[in-house]
Amino acid sequence: MSARPAPHVVAAGSSEARALVFLADLSQTLAVSLDLRQTLDEAINRIAGFMGAEAASLFLLEADGKMLECRVCVGPVDLTGLRIPVGHGVVGRAVSENASQIAVDAQNDMRVDRTPDAETGFVTRSLLCAPLSTAKGPIGALEVVNKRDGGVFAFEDAEILRLIAAPTALAINNARMAFELVEQSRLKREFELARRLQKSLLPKRRRDGFPVLGVNLPAHEISGDFYDFFDLANGRIGFVIGDVSGKGLDASLLMVRAASLLRWVGREGTAPAEWLARVNEDLCQTRLDGRFVCALVGHCDRAAENVVFAAAGFPPALLHRDGQFTEYLSGGPPLGIVAEAEFEEQSVAIGGGAFYCFSDGVTDVRDAHRQTIGSDGVRRLIERHAGSSTEPRLRGMISELKHLRLVDDTTVLVIESPQARGSEILLERRFAAQPEQMREMRSALRNALDDAGIDVTMRDRLVLAVDEACCNIIRHAYGTQRTGDIALRVASDGNGLEFRLLDWAPPVDPCCVQPKPLGEVRAGGLGVALIDSVMDHWSVSVRPDASGNRLIMHKQIKATNTLGEEQE
Amino acid sequence: MNGIEQETGNGSTLIRLSGEVDLSWSQQVRKAVLDALAASNRVGVELSAVSYIDSSGIAALVEGFQTARTKGRGFALVAVSDAVRSVLELARLDRVFPIVADASSIPEVTGTPAWKP
Repeated sequence: MSARPAPHVVAAGSSEARALVFLADLSQTLAVSLDLRQTLDEAINRIAGFMGAEAASLFLLEADGKMLECRVCVGPVDLTGLRIPVGHGVVGRAVSENASQIAVDAQNDMRVDRTPDAETGFVTRSLLCAPLSTAKGPIGALEVVNKRDGGVFAFEDAEILRLIAAPTALAINNARMAFELVEQSRLKREFELARRLQKSLLPKRRRDGFPVLGVNLPAHEISGDFYDFFDLANGRIGFVIGDVSGKGLDASLLMVRAASLLRWVGREGTAPAEWLARVNEDLCQTRLDGRFVCALVGHCDRAAENVVFAAAGFPPALLHRDGQFTEYLSGGPPLGIVAEAEFEEQSVAIGGGAFYCFSDGVTDVRDAHRQTIGSDGVRRLIERHAGSSTEPRLRGMISELKHLRLVDDTTVLVIESPQARGSEILLERRFAAQPEQMREMRSALRNALDDAGIDVTMRDRLVLAVDEACCNIIRHAYGTQRTGDIALRVASDGNGLEFRLLDWAPPVDPCCVQPKPLGEVRAGGLGVALIDSVMDHWSVSVRPDASGNRLIMHKQIKATNTLGEEQE
Repeated sequence: MNGIEQETGNGSTLIRLSGEVDLSWSQQVRKAVLDALAASNRVGVELSAVSYIDSSGIAALVEGFQTARTKGRGFALVAVSDAVRSVLELARLDRVFPIVADASSIPEVTGTPAWKP
């Protein structure tokens, strides 16, 4: 319903009124479209029409801010693609001075560059140019040439062109921002695809009694870390953990290349030192622009009794056995720096312990005081979860790391003797049957149940039931006359949790261990009633060799938080 | 850490427990509650800083409650923490003990618990 004046038709009313109507109309056209090309074509036509000009053109500043290029043009000569230095000619001056330029007599005006006229035969008589101004300075200029009626542009025309330039500049800015947004979301999608591709390169967790387990937590969408493991022809297992220097897309592309190379060379069963040397040669043959790859590669047997490995600038590997840590330093430089570098091979007897390899993202995790946790922090982390079997332990360590501040990609690889399938030990502990030991037992049990993903309310109930069971053993099985130990084992199978308590006390008559009704206001017998209320079933029996009693309690509950989900 | 603090005044005693009340020191809690009931007309056990309680701790509180009833003294649990409340609920004793929000609400006499269906 807008009053849209047709070009060349002089509408009723003053020229100011006409200009206002045109401006409103132009602004609306520019505002509704985000397609810069189409919008500007239409706008420049209408501007030429309204200004009564023979030709009009729009110049935009190039990214370097030094040249202007004609992007849209209407008139007898096509100037599209013409480039003018900022400060040169009328258009260049409009931008450099951020002020309108008017040339009443173009043929005798020093500012006017007459080269295009000479080349095309067009005669420029009079011209007018206004900068396209934004808050961040001019982004281009709008120029109109020669009045159709043969007259010259006046100061009033210059004012009108300046007014017209304002919504035009705004529209160009908007369209540019819209383009950037689209570009950003496109990049985001691409990053997401890259992330998925990277994840797909990591090997699937093996459940067939496999001794190698890995986990990778990227700090951003894409990661520079990777790990891999595979069966070798001789029945042994090859494993790799690596970390590409730097972050971002280029690091992740190098990661893909390094991971493929390491797998390709490693699958042949090449000995670890030779394996790294060959990958190093290959990486050194191409330009990495100062990037490099830290890696640790090795072989182990399925029972994880022995590991042979070589490392290239990788953080020290840790063997945790019988509560002691042994550190193995890297015996070679990072890959991709020195051609013909040599790598040292080391052999480690695991002997029932666990062999940890972790990227520097683990030691660089920041604690609450923004300090990196360092090698000591990693050791304490391993110790805190040492009571659980491999998978819940790794899960617990990772969930603890996630609560701290990850600053880098974090990857952990553990090599450890595979536990018996079917049930998974969440906690195994032996302690003196003394009330003073209970606090620490409860704390360890809470940690183990947290690692298994048991919710807090259920966890606290289970801890209470186990505590009550231990207290009964202390008070009634051992009594005041005897001392001895309690062995606690918490295992998780497909159906739920099993809590097993062994003691070395005289046989207990199971008939004497009966729950009293709850809610009764009396001081004794509450413990067994609490156990009965929390657990699905429980039983006390004398151990087959009569060395003591065995209490087994069951709770049907699933350990939900699996490592697999952690990596999704 | 585990601790017992006492505040006495105007014939009433407030026993403030903190930490994890378990078998290792529940006898101290029991003694503190019974001693307070021997000396004061009104006794409150403040439990807001108790993060864990086992059945031996609950037993000490039950004994205090029974003693108060026999002797006609006032007895209540004050500012019960969530950890303690969930154990009381599990033992179905949450409606047996008088539970109050602050020390000024401890009753003069501990009667038979109101029976609530």
